[in-house]
Amino acid sequence: MNTSTPLYALHERIWHWLQAATIIFLILTGFAIHYPDRFGLFGSMAIAVRYHSWIGFALIANAFLGIFYHFTAEKYHHFLPRADDFTDAAIRQVRFYFYGIFKGEKHPLETDPRRKLNSLQKITYLLFLNILLPFQIITGLLMWGADRWPRSFEKVGGLCVLGPAHTLGAYLFLAFLAGHIYLATTGSTPLSLLRAMITGFEKPSEG
Amino acid sequence: MFDISWHARSYCTWRSFVWCVVAGFGITSGIGMGQTPEASPSLADSSGRVPRLAHPAIVLKDQDGHNVLDTGNPISTRHTCGDCHDYDFIANSFHFQQGKTEMNRELLASHAMAPFNLSPGMFGKFSILPNRQLTSPDVKDPSDYDMGQAEWLTKCGVCHTGGGISEYDLQGRRFLTPEAKPSGSLDPSYTTRDREKGQVVAWDWEKSGIAEADCFLCHAPKASRGARKKEMAAGDFRWANNATLVDTGIVTAQENGKFTYNRAAFNKDGSVKPEILDLSDPTLENCAQCHGFTSKNATTIQPIQHSDIMRGTEKSGWIYNGAKISDTVAPNVVGKEKMNYPWDVHAAKGIICIDCHFSVNNPGRMIHEDQKENLRYKPRGEDIAVYLKRPDHNFARGNIPPETVNLNVHNTMRGCADCHDAEKIHTFLPYKTRHFQALACQTCHIPAVHFWAYRSDDWGFLMDTGGSRITYRGIDGGIVDPESEVTGYLPAYIPTPSKTGNLQIRPTNLISGVYWFDKAKARPVFTWQVQTAFFSGLPANGEWKYRPEIVKAFADKDGIIDIPQSVFDSPEKIALVKGLLQKYAGVADPELRIEVTPWAVSHSIVGKGQAIRECIACHAKNSVLHRPLDLNTFLPQNVPVTFRGKEARIVNFEGKEPTFDNRALLSSFYIIGYSRVTWIEWFGWMFFFAVILFSIVHGALRLLGGRL
Repeated sequence: MNTSTPLYALHERIWHWLQAATIIFLILTGFAIHYPDRFGLFGSMAIAVRYHSWIGFALIANAFLGIFYHFTAEKYHHFLPRADDFTDAAIRQVRFYFYGIFKGEKHPLETDPRRKLNSLQKITYLLFLNILLPFQIITGLLMWGADRWPRSFEKVGGLCVLGPAHTLGAYLFLAFLAGHIYLATTGSTPLSLLRAMITGFEKPSEG
Repeated sequence: MFDISWHARSYCTWRSFVWCVVAGFGITSGIGMGQTPEASPSLADSSGRVPRLAHPAIVLKDQDGHNVLDTGNPISTRHTCGDCHDYDFIANSFHFQQGKTEMNRELLASHAMAPFNLSPGMFGKFSILPNRQLTSPDVKDPSDYDMGQAEWLTKCGVCHTGGGISEYDLQGRRFLTPEAKPSGSLDPSYTTRDREKGQVVAWDWEKSGIAEADCFLCHAPKASRGARKKEMAAGDFRWANNATLVDTGIVTAQENGKFTYNRAAFNKDGSVKPEILDLSDPTLENCAQCHGFTSKNATTIQPIQHSDIMRGTEKSGWIYNGAKISDTVAPNVVGKEKMNYPWDVHAAKGIICIDCHFSVNNPGRMIHEDQKENLRYKPRGEDIAVYLKRPDHNFARGNIPPETVNLNVHNTMRGCADCHDAEKIHTFLPYKTRHFQALACQTCHIPAVHFWAYRSDDWGFLMDTGGSRITYRGIDGGIVDPESEVTGYLPAYIPTPSKTGNLQIRPTNLISGVYWFDKAKARPVFTWQVQTAFFSGLPANGEWKYRPEIVKAFADKDGIIDIPQSVFDSPEKIALVKGLLQKYAGVADPELRIEVTPWAVSHSIVGKGQAIRECIACHAKNSVLHRPLDLNTFLPQNVPVTFRGKEARIVNFEGKEPTFDNRALLSSFYIIGYSRVTWIEWFGWMFFFAVILFSIVHGALRLLGGRL
């Protein structure tokens, strides 16, 4: 691995952490909206709704900036699985998580700036970034726009459809977040992947 | 097409016409000016209203058009008022007809009204409260006869102010005219059920006379509803309008049931002194006589007048009063010390009934908007002269349950949004449009009703009075006991169609009725039939005697059926009464039913300080919108429950006592914070915890294997 080139560029790290912060904040405000009588972290439901809307737009802006960056920097290919990622590579990765990791085997993918994501990550992020995130954005935007675009809102079934759909997406986000945080400890050391996402480098500088 | 040639008729001189127009301008445009007092501050009184001009002096005329001072005959409003105003046009409105002009099967069906109703108004509609119904003109069998037209007038005619229903038979022929003849021995317009004989007998219209529209009840501030009631209840319809004037000093009641005229109340020319009759727009007090307790500033609430519970109180407990609740002297309102706000914020502002419930063609009040024509204001509104000749007495109204009368003029009144700009006011509220679309303003602005109201009326088991058992909510103790504590109640919420057609959640009182239904005849069993089943004869001394079968099944060891025993707590007891109805009353296929009727609360409005503002009032697990309101403690189980004309699952019997369960009714509303889709909640949390569990187990194994 080339230690002079960071695994994650500064733009990627800012994008990642902004996304993480907004998603966590959206989950928290979402709880305050979904359980307003039991989760009063933000004082009132009205405040939570306001925060949820603003942070939602921040997430959308960040998503577009991320798309812009990955395309202009030609890094989008990191997220594109190859045929192998659905078969052999995926099996190797699953085997590693369920067997090899306990035996101290080496990670099946040696990460470097050109290959940062293993096959399971590619598949997961493909679903997460291209299906779940847009799904949440669209359902969230339609609910936000209920007063502004009532016809569009009603056309898709109104709150009776959008409310439960957005809630389902939120639970999937929550589960993803929990799994993502845990799997971030499965690097060469428990904190190496976290360090990589903060400093850009998986291992501490030897200099 | 309206015929304007009326002004040329001989009985209406140009002088009286000019007077009418001048007075009309005074009444209508004066009040219009009162709504913007700053435009004429020198004229407005402390409430912002401009003093009205007096109605010109009128001559009280009898049915032949002669001055009653000369003849001593009863007043005929047809001649007295009808000389200037179009009497028949006025009387052809729902206050006078109460459904008589809407006896149309197709119209009823289009509004989902059961076919046993004759009309959408009280004159023809079955109501669980009296458990009575006007008899159909098509009746062939005496067993299908309940209430004739004359009996209806003796019971309901005090408020339903004459005119159509007490002048014309069900065929539209004016009583006491040569063409007015019964079409058979059961014609309900000419007969009545004799309670003692149990037979249908002829009604003597010659003796009772007819009651013309009682203009005075609404337009004379000193109208006496009590005196009118006495005449109507006695079947002395002819003198009812005179009786209404008994407190003005114009007439005096005589022992023989007639009324004499007091000359001191009349001018030398034979007209009645305007300051004594004081004809005017209906005041708060005029409307209150029939509609509910209404006052500008009353510290004593008297919801029972002339032995009648005022309608608004009876049905939903609203009080339209400008005084603060904390200032209430009587009755004893629990917690009033903390209620330092008016009973109704509109009453406190001096708004009177006709400000919202106006004559729809009154140029000074009418809504000039015409959305069909894309007009926000119609400069060519009604002409004042046309209005004064033909004031439309189909007053502007909303569309609240369970009112069905006058189906064609629902949603004509000035609504909240016609005066208030809610979007500007509710700055704290996110998604204002959605909230205003889903909720009636009353939902937040009537968070509680601080008075008592009907709770149940049980005609399934008759008490030893021969009548139903009535219970009330919002009061500890009897409603006439001054020591009783008025606790008020928290309303239930139901969806109702708004002016624009979408469903809105609205606060209501719920009155649960238990009654017997004749499935063979597809109509309710009449009260006299239920009495026949329960009792062995008419009361000799005011107390009805239960049949031995009833006593055996329901009484406890003392042989007396007390209130706790007068319940259907087993299928056997229901079957017993069913058998008695078949055996003694000839009811082929009786079925015990429950009807839960919502009565919308539209008054007792509070201002922003007391309105619901907290999101979690609605958006929480214990959302008030799904608050279970207690129903009749003694509701029988496993019998059909109807709600607004349809069988519905709205009673929850699982708790200590039956409660209203509106989950099915509000299923089309997704209330964030309250509504849950069960499988999503289960799947979501299970998936999340599965990931957490995986992480814990996986991490633990790594830790144990020394791989962390």
